[in-house]
Amino acid sequence: MSDFANSLSVSASGLKAQTQRLVHVSENIANADTPGYRRKTVAFETAFKGSSSTGTVETGPVQLDRRELSRIYDPGHPLADATGQYDGSNVDLMIEIADAREAQRSYEANLKMFEQARQMSSRLMELLRR
Amino acid sequence: MFEKLEIFRMSHAMATHAGARQAVVAQNMANADTPGYAARDLAPFKTLYEAQAGTPGSRATREGHMLGQGAQAGFSPSEREGAQRDPNGNSVALETEMLNAVEVKRQHDRAIAIYRSSLTQLRTALGRG
Repeated sequence: MSDFANSLSVSASGLKAQTQRLVHVSENIANADTPGYRRKTVAFETAFKGSSSTGTVETGPVQLDRRELSRIYDPGHPLADATGQYDGSNVDLMIEIADAREAQRSYEANLKMFEQARQMSSRLMELLRR
Repeated sequence: MFEKLEIFRMSHAMATHAGARQAVVAQNMANADTPGYAARDLAPFKTLYEAQAGTPGSRATREGHMLGQGAQAGFSPSEREGAQRDPNGNSVALETEMLNAVEVKRQHDRAIAIYRSSLTQLRTALGRG
């Protein structure tokens, strides 16, 4: 029974982690044109709480992408240096969109598992009803 | 009193197995994007049940032959073999997990249907159908 009860909290932790990821993806997309912005990422980790054998998922600390910032040529820009270039962000929209899709797919899968665990327990409860 | 009837015991063990497997599948799904995570699975109920019960005819005849207890202790998930790994070391395939989830749901429904049907029979025998 303990494992079964855990399955709801495991699915919920998955939902939470994917939401966290989507938050950072949308932040990256919103800041795609901010000069000097570095893209933020979170890594997923498996966490075992207490003595339970089922591992929930957690997001690790936020990390900044170390890739070089793109150089944009625009002599009229206030931030432009002597060569007429300034630092843009290192956000690649294609990667962010793909990331968002993956997050959505995993979110849906977790939601489905949550719904199924709920259905299974309600079927059990129905046994008590006459 | 119902605990000692073999069919109730078996459907109980089957539902418990489905519950435990549900937890394992949920864990796999939650960790579908965790780097280095290996997909896990439980042995099928048939294998566990046969291992617990031994030869047919000699099962659960005494107090010590509690199938429910034994089966519960035997639920240890093992890493799934032959699964293809992603570049980040993750071996969860969402499609496979979906399939497993449906299997779990059906097994659970089946176990409960057996339990309910036996319960109805018992009620009828008592004259309260």
